[in-house]
Amino acid sequence: MKTVLRYVLTYKKSAIIALLLMGVELTVELLQPMLMGIIIDQGVVEQDMEAIMVWGGLLLFLSLLAFASGITNSFFAANVSQGVGHDVRRDLFTRIQSFTADQFQRFATSSLITRMTNDVTQVQSFLFMAMRIMLRAPLFIIGGLILAFTVHAGLASILLLAVPFLFLFMLWMMGKGVRLFRLVQNRLDAVNRVIRENLVNMRLIKAFDRGEYEQHRFDDVNRPLMDENKKALRLLELTMPAVMLAMNIVLVVVLWYGAADLRVGGAQAGQVVAVLNYGTRIMFSFSTFSFLLMVFSRGRASTTRIAEVLHKDAGEEVNTKGEANTINGDVSFEDVSFRYPGMDVDVIKHLTFSVRAGETIGILGETGSGKTSLLQLLPRLYSPTKGQICIDQKDIHTHDVQSLRREIGFVTQEAHLFSGTIADNIKWGDEQAGMEQVKQAAKDAHIHDFIMSLPSQYETHLGQKGVNLSGGQKQRLSLARAMIKRPAILMLDDSTSALDAQTEASVLQTLEHLSCTTFIVAQKISSVQAADQILLLQDGELIAKGEHSELMKDSEAYKNIFQSQVQREEVLDESI
Amino acid sequence: MSQSNRSHPHQRRGIPTKPPKIEHMKRTLIRIWRYMMVEKGRITLVLAMVLISSILSLLGPYLLGVTVDKIIAKVEVSTLVWMLVLLACVYVFQYGAVLLQQFFMIGVAQNTIYTMRNDLFEHFHKMGMSFFQTKQHGELMSRATNDMENISRTLNSSVIQFSTSILTLIGTLGMMIWLSPLLTIVTLVIVPILFYGMKWITSRTGVYFKEQQRHLGDMNGYIEESLTGHHIITLYSREAQVMEQFKHKNEAYRNASYWAQTYTGFIPKLLNLLNNLSFALIVGLGGLFALNGWISIGVIVTFTTYSRQFTRPLNDLANQFNVILSAVAGAERVFHIMDEPSETEDEKDVEHVTAIEGKVQFRNVSFAYEKEQPTLENIHFDVKPGETVALVGPTGAGKTTIISLLSRFYTPNEGEIYVDGKSLSSISRKSLRNNLGMVLQDSFLFEATIRENIRYGRLDATDEEVMEAAKKANAHRFIESLPEGYETMLQSDGQRISHGQRQLLSIARAMLADPQLLILDEATSSIDTITEVKINEALSTLMEGRTSFVIAHRLNTIQNADQIIVLDEGKIVEKGTHGTLLRQNGMYASFMQQQLSKA
Repeated sequence: MKTVLRYVLTYKKSAIIALLLMGVELTVELLQPMLMGIIIDQGVVEQDMEAIMVWGGLLLFLSLLAFASGITNSFFAANVSQGVGHDVRRDLFTRIQSFTADQFQRFATSSLITRMTNDVTQVQSFLFMAMRIMLRAPLFIIGGLILAFTVHAGLASILLLAVPFLFLFMLWMMGKGVRLFRLVQNRLDAVNRVIRENLVNMRLIKAFDRGEYEQHRFDDVNRPLMDENKKALRLLELTMPAVMLAMNIVLVVVLWYGAADLRVGGAQAGQVVAVLNYGTRIMFSFSTFSFLLMVFSRGRASTTRIAEVLHKDAGEEVNTKGEANTINGDVSFEDVSFRYPGMDVDVIKHLTFSVRAGETIGILGETGSGKTSLLQLLPRLYSPTKGQICIDQKDIHTHDVQSLRREIGFVTQEAHLFSGTIADNIKWGDEQAGMEQVKQAAKDAHIHDFIMSLPSQYETHLGQKGVNLSGGQKQRLSLARAMIKRPAILMLDDSTSALDAQTEASVLQTLEHLSCTTFIVAQKISSVQAADQILLLQDGELIAKGEHSELMKDSEAYKNIFQSQVQREEVLDESI
Repeated sequence: MSQSNRSHPHQRRGIPTKPPKIEHMKRTLIRIWRYMMVEKGRITLVLAMVLISSILSLLGPYLLGVTVDKIIAKVEVSTLVWMLVLLACVYVFQYGAVLLQQFFMIGVAQNTIYTMRNDLFEHFHKMGMSFFQTKQHGELMSRATNDMENISRTLNSSVIQFSTSILTLIGTLGMMIWLSPLLTIVTLVIVPILFYGMKWITSRTGVYFKEQQRHLGDMNGYIEESLTGHHIITLYSREAQVMEQFKHKNEAYRNASYWAQTYTGFIPKLLNLLNNLSFALIVGLGGLFALNGWISIGVIVTFTTYSRQFTRPLNDLANQFNVILSAVAGAERVFHIMDEPSETEDEKDVEHVTAIEGKVQFRNVSFAYEKEQPTLENIHFDVKPGETVALVGPTGAGKTTIISLLSRFYTPNEGEIYVDGKSLSSISRKSLRNNLGMVLQDSFLFEATIRENIRYGRLDATDEEVMEAAKKANAHRFIESLPEGYETMLQSDGQRISHGQRQLLSIARAMLADPQLLILDEATSSIDTITEVKINEALSTLMEGRTSFVIAHRLNTIQNADQIIVLDEGKIVEKGTHGTLLRQNGMYASFMQQQLSKA
């Protein structure tokens, strides 16, 4: 909550004006019953027409004043809530953009998106409410009690006895209700989960004829949902009528006491009516509380989630500045170990190898053997836990991160494109690139012909995430995006997997002609067979290193993989 | 000092959305009503209580006014006490009735929703596969969750609120006219103001909301895109540009929503004004009337409460209207799904087969998902019990369709499929599928423990049998290596275990089911070599002695098949074994060449 309140400070003026205007409205409402009492006592009972006109006129004027304040308030309150929302989003976005890969990993992407969209909206509506009605109900209760006292202390003390007690009871019940609703939410999640699973797995469920079983499983989550829902709703829905009943009984007592007092000449009729009216209005204020509580608890949950992102510690402060060198492309790993922050196993263990500029390095290994992690260390997405990585004989930490990344082309496993034209997407690699260079990069990535076959060619718009392209096309576009950089080091993380055999072969061939140092992570030996060096990883350790022919001689593990992959070919040859 | 029973007076104010489109309002309402009428007794009780509480809510303020008059007239305390006791009784009964109506309505509403959910879910399972092919999961999901929730919320409160509002509105109006027609006119002065005021505001907000929605969509889209592509932005050092772009979208959204929110903020203020205005008018003019002796002070007191009771339902009804409409629209969508014809029932006198041998014959089978676009044409082949058939061909050749026909997800348009010499349509779906095992390429897993996921193959299997199946499927070792072993909870998106391991689990599942007919849809995705070896081993154990249909991508499987059926554009182009087909040097041979150059 604090975090967001600090944002309100920027809009101090608007916030104060909005609150003051709300105060005006509140005051008007508080004065109304009092004026009503005066009209009755001085006007009706005393038979004074003028008094009625004067006080009645004042009442009318005050109503209009309250309206004017309310309308004006809307402008200022919207200014505050929208302003704060804007600022919070801005800071969240900036913060997230500055996240290191590790920090980003800690939040699920979907959760970050929710925080930036839903949660901020939630906070906005909370603030808008706060500026307008949040304080009103509690203030009205307090103010109403005080004014009732000025009207008639004896009658008001009955209210004073009852109101705090009822108020606390109501809050207590609602607190319970909120907890119950959290349970309901969990049950609802369970129900939705089963539905989703069933929809996704329908084919399997049908094949195994598990329809009835699934229906039982569904009933097992649906029934508790119903039960919890009933419990929670009943608690909440029954609290208000109970409080109202109690309050009405209190008002009957006020009447009774008033009548007795009136007879002995203590109270005047108008005073009794006024106190009665205060009582009624306080009761109405009660009824807004459950709503306010809901807005408040939602707002609080959202602010907490926003604050988690904003206050995320910057991680270990990595030095991002350094020498901005052009890079030649020599790479060496010296006894490099790495574990993801917060994990307790090294994913890369004592890795040592060196590569000369222009070489091609194939990296093979099972899923989870550390191939991707290895690649991520070079552009400094993560820093090694131990050991040293050098580019051009200089520790990568002495390089400027920005310039380092400019020299590295990293084609990730999943090709992510942005909305915009195809040309825009390729130009991500080099904003200054001209159309000729874009086309050349596309040709190198063997996607040019496809692009030219589209009606708008390079100006074709890609939807979000580039949905209208196939996996292979996306992979080649992201390859083009990396190639247009003319990087000194190019890294392909299994990023030709969706290409058909022929295209893959031609892409690999093109890569050989590039002058940059190339790392290729692959599943199949055939993809890296021509590499100058092949690294075979297992559980983060380098178990073999060398050219294909060397490895075939020296490495049992490599030979095994080769056998299982290539044996097919031999079988085929024989039969032909 | 009476009070209608709504608890969230501000909740539904504000966003005036366009009323949703409803085709069959009446039919849908009747249908919901029929669901609720299962509990006729309780519904009647609820409605009776609504009637009682509404009447009493009119009586309260009236008695209060009378009492005030008596107090002012300084009548005997003893008569007054009776009045007060009567008033207290009215309150007790009024709120007693409210309590009861809420209590029972929640019960009815939740039971109704429970039944509807179950019905919808059951209906999902009655649908044929074609239904799921044409509908998007997201859409069905939204029916079962959002729409249902919407109906649930509305049923909880709206039925009572709606009927109470109407009753109170009519009742209050009647009482007011009876008490003082003059003061009634004063009270009604505000109604046109309310009407035109609301109209003015909503005409404005409508425009701004549309604008706001557009900018919101734009901004949220950008947020999603740049967060999912965060790693790319980092790698290309594009943070500054991205932030600049976001700044523009963020500002555009702020400006649009500023006006939307400001105008929305007018609505409660207008209502407040009207409340205050009518209060001032009633007290001021009422005072004058009282002075002339036309009315008593008690009537003024009564009217101050009645005027609130009158504007409140007006406002409620206006708010409820959209809420109810959107719920009805939701219900309509739900019913729409429930009305989809279910998978064709089994023909009469179908046979329940218990154990089948596994002989399969396709006799001139043709099939089309959509008319005039045949997916399969004249498919004809024989499979002996225990044989393995590899289905080979490019995407869209009809491999999956053959399997779907065999599982009777669809029925052929022409021709006949025989299992053990019996026509498929003479065998009950249930018993056929009991003899059928399936290992699909996506390796579907459920959010449950590993043990339960394997046991899905045969629900009454013991823990030992589950473990036995896992061992045969080469899955036991990796399961044991997990900290929680067989009790490891799996996420439905398959986190925590690798793709290959998921496949091993689904093989274990089929192993446990021990079917005579086996359907395999091999994964195309890259799996590390060592796991692949394990999968191959497990598959050959599984296929041993069973009639197996494999949509094959792995060479190993294809080579070992007893029969290879090469499909292209829905037709069988070649049929034979690996050796004979290679010698033919036709489509299969060239297909193999292609596969190999990739491998």
